[in-house]
Amino acid sequence: MTTRIQEIAQLDRLIHEPARLAIMLMLGGIGEADFLYLQREGGFTQGNLSGHLAKLEEAGYVAIEKKFKGKVPLTVCSLTGKGKAAFCEYSARMLGVLQSNGQQGR
Amino acid sequence: MKNDSDKPASPGRRAAAYWFKDGFPDILLGTTLVVFGGLGLAWCIHSPKSAGRPDFFFLAAGQLLFYWKGRPAVDLLKSRITYPRTGYVQPPQDVPERPLAQPSTPISLSLEPGPPTDENVTHFNTRTVYGVFYWCLLILVGLNPWRHWYTPLAMLALAILLYAWNRRSERPYRWWPALILAFTGPAVMLVNTGPLVEPLLLPLVAGAWLAAHGACTLAGYLRANPYPQAAQEVRA
Repeated sequence: MTTRIQEIAQLDRLIHEPARLAIMLMLGGIGEADFLYLQREGGFTQGNLSGHLAKLEEAGYVAIEKKFKGKVPLTVCSLTGKGKAAFCEYSARMLGVLQSNGQQGR
Repeated sequence: MKNDSDKPASPGRRAAAYWFKDGFPDILLGTTLVVFGGLGLAWCIHSPKSAGRPDFFFLAAGQLLFYWKGRPAVDLLKSRITYPRTGYVQPPQDVPERPLAQPSTPISLSLEPGPPTDENVTHFNTRTVYGVFYWCLLILVGLNPWRHWYTPLAMLALAILLYAWNRRSERPYRWWPALILAFTGPAVMLVNTGPLVEPLLLPLVAGAWLAAHGACTLAGYLRANPYPQAAQEVRA
């Protein structure tokens, strides 16, 4: 039980927040997406998404780049290598916690 | 177009569906078929005794052009119409990438994070683009064993092929548009255009059907997603 609690305490809090977890999941699955797509898919407000992305960018998990598609300027977000590794570690740890919980429940 | 209740669940599958939700791939493919099929038809009507099969070469040129420039053209259209409305997402990979690297453990909190491996732009090419083009080319060079029944049967087969192949994909065709395509075969038979022109109607009809299907999808998309500026004006 104590080990499990320690495992939970070691979860990456930056990713653990639901909105940021949703952003990481989306970007992990699609490679790159622009601000508008993330906003619509995640159901975020502009300020909310902007704040979460800023935090993820600050941690080096997400790269934000200004690009042009045709003549349309886009703010494109993608996971960095560090972000992918952190997300993998987080998901493995989380799954470990959930699995051990399931085994104890039986 | 699927409704919201059966939206694909994972981000990768949603991105795959997103690529087709504005109908541009279908419109472009349909237009290419109509233009190049029409050129072949015009050539055959004006010089019926020309050597070889120019209609065949026109259609083959159309396929090559679509293969070469189709993706950039769709990208250009999307950048002007789709991305300002609903945003940009990287289209599913032509060659599926490995899912997120898993350095220490083979398990992860998997919500199918990788791009879908079997529903991407490549499969639009194999299931629809090549399916339609090769079918039309096959009909043009065919031996015509059933004569009058040949084109209607080919259209019926094409409708079944498109419906069945795409049934479980991110862009299924509904049954009733497929039925319309199937019924154009007997309609062509009633018109009785003659053995020279009849096989050439297949790319024209298939192209018009694809373009109409794409246009309906696009109309629905534009209705559901007005340009941000227009939406703000409505709210004001």
